[in-house]
Amino acid sequence: MHDFLHFPLHINPVFLFGLTLLLGLLGGEIAKLTRILPRISGYIAVGFLVGPNGFNIVTKTLLIDASFFVDIALGLILFDLGRHLDFNWLRHDRGLLPMAITESFLTFAAVFTVLFLFKLPWLPSALAATIAMATSPAVVLMVAHDISSEGPITRRTMILTSLNNLFALILFTILLPIAHIKSSTPQVISEHITYRLLGSVVLGLIMFMITINLSRLTGKNKDSQFVLFVGAIALSIGMAISLNLSTMLTLFTLGVVARNFDYKHKLTEVDFGWLARLFFVLLFVVTGVYLKLDGLWKFTWIVLIFLIVKILAKICGVFIFSATSRLTKQQALTLGVTLLPMAELAIGMSNRLVYFNPNFSYQLITIITAVVAVLYILGPIAVQLAFIKTGEAEKLSY
Amino acid sequence: MDTLLPFKKSAPLTIGLELELQLVDLHHFNLVMEINDFLRRLSEISHTGTIKPEITQSMLEINSSVHLSYLSLLNEVEELRGILVEEADQTHIGICGGGAHPFQKWKEQRIFQTERFSSFSEQYGYLAQQFTVFGQHIHIGCANAEDSLYLCHAMARYLPQFIALSAASPFHQDVDTTFDCSRLTVISAFPLSGTPPWILSWQEFKTYYQKMLRLGVVKSMKDFYWDIRPKPEFGTIEIRICDTPLTISRAVDLVAYAQALARWLLEKRPTLCRDIYLTYLINRFRAARYGLEAILIDPIQQKNILLADDIVQTCNQLESQAINLGSQDALTRIYIMAVERKNDAAWLRKQYAELRSLNDVVRSQTEIWRYGEGSEKKCSH
Repeated sequence: MHDFLHFPLHINPVFLFGLTLLLGLLGGEIAKLTRILPRISGYIAVGFLVGPNGFNIVTKTLLIDASFFVDIALGLILFDLGRHLDFNWLRHDRGLLPMAITESFLTFAAVFTVLFLFKLPWLPSALAATIAMATSPAVVLMVAHDISSEGPITRRTMILTSLNNLFALILFTILLPIAHIKSSTPQVISEHITYRLLGSVVLGLIMFMITINLSRLTGKNKDSQFVLFVGAIALSIGMAISLNLSTMLTLFTLGVVARNFDYKHKLTEVDFGWLARLFFVLLFVVTGVYLKLDGLWKFTWIVLIFLIVKILAKICGVFIFSATSRLTKQQALTLGVTLLPMAELAIGMSNRLVYFNPNFSYQLITIITAVVAVLYILGPIAVQLAFIKTGEAEKLSY
Repeated sequence: MDTLLPFKKSAPLTIGLELELQLVDLHHFNLVMEINDFLRRLSEISHTGTIKPEITQSMLEINSSVHLSYLSLLNEVEELRGILVEEADQTHIGICGGGAHPFQKWKEQRIFQTERFSSFSEQYGYLAQQFTVFGQHIHIGCANAEDSLYLCHAMARYLPQFIALSAASPFHQDVDTTFDCSRLTVISAFPLSGTPPWILSWQEFKTYYQKMLRLGVVKSMKDFYWDIRPKPEFGTIEIRICDTPLTISRAVDLVAYAQALARWLLEKRPTLCRDIYLTYLINRFRAARYGLEAILIDPIQQKNILLADDIVQTCNQLESQAINLGSQDALTRIYIMAVERKNDAAWLRKQYAELRSLNDVVRSQTEIWRYGEGSEKKCSH
């Protein structure tokens, strides 16, 4: 028998996939039983408990194994997010784009100013402020889906999330090479920025053209188009990684173009449904592993002020143009609250920051991870409460 | 309320229109629960007529004012459509006609919370959610209550024509139902649907109503979901059998047709015969199932007739009435529809044959609602 088995048993990616799903499911169902917490909170808690800050079951190697699933999950989310950005709506509601710009850049300015005032260097502060601009699409999509929230505020949450992620992705792609220790000359930096920005957009466009041409074969059959989209998303991720482009921007571009440039309506409105749920559970559990709260004890004041100014900036940004969009005060307030969560993309950006520049300010990374951790924990609850408050959520069937 | 409201005197043959409309998402084209916010937005705009909610949260009802001519009615409803379209654009939802949404799932529909709708939902259970279908109601002013009862029964002979002419619900719950009007089968499930009782005197009708009230069958006239009923508080009869057509012009043409028919009936006063109801239900079914191709059974003449031919004959009969009412154009369009046998159900099936997607069919419904007929040429399908 011992010829066939080698101890300790090697944990392969499929084993990890199954285990993560089952543990995540368990956490989600327990969270649901509390009647206050959304399922996401349970997924995150499971990740946190099995991670290095909990029972330390998940090792670094296992996380690398899981990165494949995380990439697919992020790809699906970014594509879906891009599809929420409808230029027609921006044209008809003159308040929407100014609202997105204001809430995004007010958040950037407020967070940057706070960090700068705490004597942190300008570039890391700018990168941290960029990360703070983006709302977590996974959280808002998942909470809305879980409680069947439908209506004007839910839809506005999606388009504003789409826009603030777009701004954050562009700014992050510009700032990141500047922080790169090796790319010292301005020429190298600008070439790098141009390549990553334009390259990602062009790759997104090429993938769209491939998708639209293949749709001639599939016709409007939803099952075939489902496979077409998942294939296009996976291929885009793979290509972006191989070409050292931004996977996030590539997928986002593919989504935006699919929404706005499919003039002949060749593509159907594919709902990723159960597939998205599988990857979402996985994403939340895996990113839960990265949660670190030590910054909250080490840099309490900065973290708290960071959080307060971010919350105020998001809400004020929405309020300023709410009258132009003809929203009520209560709608503006709930919309502002739904934009608070920071999660998977913020974690992804922070990880990328450290990967690009291992000497990046330890203090700042600790602060960012603490802020992300707080908003990862509280964000889904706030979003759920906000959607319930608007009356757009279906009665919770606990 | 224990007694029937007195029949309000109204100018004979005045007309009015109620249309139930669909609110749809502009990405997947399913129904959207937007009525609360949409009504709030509309309440900030001044407009004629009335805009109000219906049983579920994806439904909107528009009511016109009272009109003497179909052209003034058309102007008002077109103005209302302009306001609706502009407001819908700003909040990024679509509006369309049609008797049923092709692929919405009834179990996903949420009841609009008012005392009346909540009590309706409590009483009828899942039927309330299934009631997410969209109809057109036509009001014709009557000089007195007796005329209204007379017209209710005299019109019964012609109601299958209205079913076929307005039919716009071939797809329901994601399938081609093979019916031109699937909406009627939903309404037939209600115990108080059907036709009014054979009563021709208002005094007797009041006695009947009070009995039903005392027995606890109804709480008001609104609880009778008859295909046609007197509406004492307006001084009208209300034809409730039509699907909401895909365009405003067709909806108003149907009102003009009903007005001319009522004028002819009141002028000629054909003798009413209870035998008309011997074949009423089968004719109603056939009109819903086969549309303009249905074969009707005339129990009085004891013969069969193609519904489209019946409409052509009626149009010829109503020509002088339409000239007097200034609605010849509308009557001509009804005549052409019958001759060409092209109702909205046929248009919707044609769209599906070309587009192969019910989502895109709803997209084309929003476009034809916005731009009128010929919109399919303007759009890039």
